[in-house]
Order: sequence, then structure tokens, then C-alpha cells
Amino acid sequence: MNEKNMLLSRIKKYDFTLKELNLYLDTHPNCRRALSMFRKYRELRRDAVQEYNKRFGPLTPEQVTDTQSWTWVEDPWPWERR
Amino acid sequence: MNLDLFDDMEGIILHEREASLVSEMKNNNGNGSMTRFPKNTPLAMAYVPFQQWGETYGDDEALSRGTLFPELDLPFLKGGADK
Repeated sequence: MNEKNMLLSRIKKYDFTLKELNLYLDTHPNCRRALSMFRKYRELRRDAVQEYNKRFGPLTPEQVTDTQSWTWVEDPWPWERR
Repeated sequence: MNLDLFDDMEGIILHEREASLVSEMKNNNGNGSMTRFPKNTPLAMAYVPFQQWGETYGDDEALSRGTLFPELDLPFLKGGADK
């Protein structure tokens, strides 16, 4: 797996863990352990997304930071990948 | 009636009782006074035990198992897909 896919895969794992904690916290809103784990994974995800943005471009349109060019359309679209 | 699915039901029940006792002792169920079951459980009613905070998988294993919580990792295989 190349670095880009490894980073994407990490973000995917963080997203899943955050969703699981989200669902748990919906029914256990005062669980401090779940809250602290949620905070930890939110930071891990944020850092991974920032690294991805810096090296490979935006994952979502609002992550476009370039002031000269709409870099969102530069990436190969899913159906253009081999 | 023989439900293969629940062949270790007694083991599971024992395990859950112990686990809920331990978590009550530690008072770490994460939701104040919410225990696994309410104090009064009238007969002929069905109950879903209230989840208590416990072990968690790492993010890698969580995604591949489809849940963050080992106690919710219950592949229902015996009577179904693999037959």
C-alpha cells in the first residue's frame, strides 16, 4: 500500500472509532472514559487529515486552501483511478 | 428446544453478572447510577442490558470487526450463513 492509501486507511479507522464512540456517548453522555477517548481520536483524525491535505490535497471541498486555484478538481476522480 | 446460538448462555450470563458486579464496585459504568439491568425486572418482559464501559478494540481491529466493543462483537454464524 502506498503512503497515500495508508494515510487514507488511517483516517478511515479513526472515523469508524469516532462514530462508535459517538453512538456510545449518545446513550452514555457522562462517561468520562468515552469522552476522553473521543477527544484523543478527534485529535488523531485532525492531524491525519491535515497531513493528507498537505501532501495529497483536499479530501472534501472545504479543505481547499489554495488562493490561486480550485485544487479540488485536480485530483483524479474515483472513476479515473486505476 | 435447542438453540445452538445460545449454547453457552449460562456462561454468558455468569460472565455478565460478574462483569456488572465488578463495574458496580468500581462505580465506573460511566453513566451515574445506570446499571446493566433495572432493579425491578417484571417477568414476561424482554430486556436489553444497558451497555457498561469496558474493553475496547484498537482502531485497526475495530474497523475490521465492525465494532469498537469486544462485548458487542457477536458474529451470528451457527444457524445461518455458513450452513
